Amino acid sequence: MSEFMYFPFPAIVGQDAVKKAILCTLVNEDLRGLLITGERGSAKTVLARSAASILEDKKIRIIPQNTSEDRLFGSIDIEKAITGGEIGIVKGILAESDCQMIVADDINLLDEKIIHGILNTAETGNILIERDGFSEEIKTRYILAATMDPEEGELSPQMLDRFDLCVETDKINSESERIEIIRKCLEFENEPGHFLENHENETADVREKISKAKERLPYVMIPEALLEMIPELCLELNVSGQRGDIALAKTAKTLAAIEGRDDVVFEDIKQAAAMTLEHRRRGLPPQSPPDNSDNRNKDDESENEDNEDNKPQENPQNNSRPNPPDKQGEQNDSPEPEKPEEDEQKEDPQDIPPPPEQVFDIGSAFSVIEFLDERGRAKSKKASNGRRTRNISHDKSGHYISYKHRDERKNDIAIDASLRAAAPFQKTRDKKGLAIRVDKSDLREKIREKKTGNVILFLVDASGSMGVRQRMVSVKGAILSLLNDAYQKRDMVGLMIFRKKEASLLLPPTRSTDLAYKLLKEIPTGGRTPLSKGLVEAAKLLTQGRYSKSMDSKTVIILTDGRANASESGKNPYEELQEAAGKVKGKGIKYVVVDTEEGFPRMGLAMDLAYELDAIYLRLDELDSSKLARSIESIVYREQLA
Amino acid sequence: MNNKNNPVYPFSAIVGQEEMKDALLVNVVNPSIGGVLIKGEKGTAKSTAVRAIADLLPEKRTIKNCIFHCEAGQTRYLCPSCRKLIESGKVPEYEDTKMRVVELPISATEDRVAGTLDIEHAITAGKKKFEPGVLASANGNILYVDEVNLLDDHIVDLLLDAAAMGTNFVEREGISYSHPAKFMLVGTMNPEEGDLRPQLLDRFGLSVNVVGEKDTGTRTEIIRKRLEFEKDPYKFCESYETVQQETRDRIEKAKAIINGIEPDDLLLETSVKISLLLGVDGHRSDITFVKTSAAFAALDERDVIRREDLIKAARLALPHRMRKLPFEDAKVEFDKVDAVISESYAR
Repeated sequence: MSEFMYFPFPAIVGQDAVKKAILCTLVNEDLRGLLITGERGSAKTVLARSAASILEDKKIRIIPQNTSEDRLFGSIDIEKAITGGEIGIVKGILAESDCQMIVADDINLLDEKIIHGILNTAETGNILIERDGFSEEIKTRYILAATMDPEEGELSPQMLDRFDLCVETDKINSESERIEIIRKCLEFENEPGHFLENHENETADVREKISKAKERLPYVMIPEALLEMIPELCLELNVSGQRGDIALAKTAKTLAAIEGRDDVVFEDIKQAAAMTLEHRRRGLPPQSPPDNSDNRNKDDESENEDNEDNKPQENPQNNSRPNPPDKQGEQNDSPEPEKPEEDEQKEDPQDIPPPPEQVFDIGSAFSVIEFLDERGRAKSKKASNGRRTRNISHDKSGHYISYKHRDERKNDIAIDASLRAAAPFQKTRDKKGLAIRVDKSDLREKIREKKTGNVILFLVDASGSMGVRQRMVSVKGAILSLLNDAYQKRDMVGLMIFRKKEASLLLPPTRSTDLAYKLLKEIPTGGRTPLSKGLVEAAKLLTQGRYSKSMDSKTVIILTDGRANASESGKNPYEELQEAAGKVKGKGIKYVVVDTEEGFPRMGLAMDLAYELDAIYLRLDELDSSKLARSIESIVYREQLA
Repeated sequence: MNNKNNPVYPFSAIVGQEEMKDALLVNVVNPSIGGVLIKGEKGTAKSTAVRAIADLLPEKRTIKNCIFHCEAGQTRYLCPSCRKLIESGKVPEYEDTKMRVVELPISATEDRVAGTLDIEHAITAGKKKFEPGVLASANGNILYVDEVNLLDDHIVDLLLDAAAMGTNFVEREGISYSHPAKFMLVGTMNPEEGDLRPQLLDRFGLSVNVVGEKDTGTRTEIIRKRLEFEKDPYKFCESYETVQQETRDRIEKAKAIINGIEPDDLLLETSVKISLLLGVDGHRSDITFVKTSAAFAALDERDVIRREDLIKAARLALPHRMRKLPFEDAKVEFDKVDAVISESYAR
């Protein structure tokens, strides 16, 4: 029995796709990395860790959120150095996990270097250690399963590409299945030991199935026609690089081996494509039929939906591709392979008739794409809101990720790193009765990383100009929707308006939708347009006092037609505006000017202002709140992702 | 057993706020419900209630001298040394310890939360040793975070991590260690200071919204009691001792009863129907809803779960698991929920 009790794999209700993917990674260790995504509470962690119950000779190792680099990669052995004066290395988690399985929960929340280390080593089977005066290469091979909730932030495409398999948990809507889930969870919680015993037989069956599939795997063949379909699929789906092709082929073979077949059939390719290509697609899968219409028209869509289950490889009629009639291979894609596994495994592999020789035409690839698109739509992808920017923290807050030589001004010593630095010299140093003597030159300080958000300040013309009411309604809507989207509590949104002779901060930058709701109930409007005053005040707010030290990125969104008509200094309002713009530009603030000028002729004053401020200039045909919010989001986040 | 040096306002003397008190009590009866998030404005007795619950917490049997207070009679959550002890076939010594409230200040640093390298030991003995952090003390206890919405992201990540499996894995500063960290998470927050990450929100078993009492009579009563307490806290606490003892007994009884309550099919079906009706995410709401209903029955000294238990449980287990839509407050349509419950329990 393992040290910890994990929920047994066969006792998990539903989630067939994820379970199959887990089986694949266990059967074929050449498959590098499985990523399980899904909403909170959809059993991601339980699924990943349940693999422990069906591993035969392996243990699972958990990578916690607090993992530091030295533990991941390995470091100098302090104890040995101090007590014996020997220089040795302590293996890190990655090296210790050779021939084991690694589970990384919420991998998207881990530090980037850590994620990179885990993925890179999984792929190459090598760790290069260049730390603490060591230079070593360690070989290690492990099975990797990771989980993440995309709502908390996505992984970059490069990182996603490193996962051979990626599956999403299903949302379970069947009443009886949900009841079963509650019952099993309660049972397991009350008497875990008993629960494990009850499922011992099933668990043993799965183990047996895995070992049989492992034996069969080397003999599984992919028919030439199907093999040719793979690159075609990848190209058509705009999958970059070769990893997708290779992963797809390996997974299809593994699926065939699990089903007890020696030949890969169309259905294997289809299922494998769903696991290996979806996360590698460039651009999102079409979310709704209209997005998709460049390729096929809507009528086709519904038609295909009907056909989907029965004749996946049938080419849609209106496809621009040539459409030779297809005959063969139809038998293989029946839903059979998804049937409960027990039936399959009892069967002697020899009894299965060899699949008829398969010929696939170009259209077959399309049916797979259709299948993927269909799934993509059904999964109702939510935009990920939890994008986080990470920055090296300059004070003592944040997550300790690494260390460096000490900067005298800061007193954030990394004890462990300093001890490691001192360790090699202990033999020759006078220790004055202590076990270890640390010299000043040994001291290392912590590098901490902090996740930061955005401060978005709206600066809105509330003077009595045209369309002010509509403008306010849109801004209010945009603020609330930004706050709602950003409710991972990283982004703050505020509102400052200028009218009459002054600028007033109606909503101090906040993360609270509640507060915004209350404070924005009424927005006063009317009066003249002290644009320069507004600008100066907005910049002041973000560069002085509370927000100045924060490492959050700052954006000011100015909604105006640029027609300043009130000046503070008594100068010409435009001259004053120009001066103000010159003063506030840069300073770590990003400006966006949203032109609200209406009617003809246009004076283009807002564009001039944008020029003065080096701002992004934006003109919306219609100042509608969701459009405004979306444009701002894309501006604010685009640069971070780049 | 009040701390004599620093008397705490007695739980039973808190006026009103029945939902909050209920939420805390059911959690004490069944800690696996997973804690409670108390939302509300300043000055609504949130912190008072959490600190006061400490005085009512039951005793539990733990392995003697274990810094993690490993609980007796189970093998799932044990620290490495207790595991070794039990696996070697020895019978550990036990002691009764009181469950307590462990506070996590929002300024806490990562090393203090997760635990870290014992510096003193490293320097004097030249050996690595694990120095336990807050998550270690929280094992088997209540972990209380005031202003939980202001907690740093990376600390939240640590909490989520530990809460996921009831174990704290530490892999940092040269230390590799794991110990049980099963705690009841109790948080308070003022929504005006910002929202909570949905992932963390979901980890709270229950949530309550507290609002200040509006009734003048009740408000006067609150002032009177508070003044009385401040004048002579010892005397005040003493005057509540009988009521407090009654509540303690009630909790003990409920704890005994709840073990015998088997959630029946009707309860499970009703729970699932509600979840599907509301479209809540995941399955945690189902599980807490079922447990909370049972705890309410137990607190009422029944082993049969009734309609009113479900109605009370629904109000605590569901609201924070609803998806929020822009421009809308997440509101549970309780009349529909109640209709489902009444339909199922119409006997």
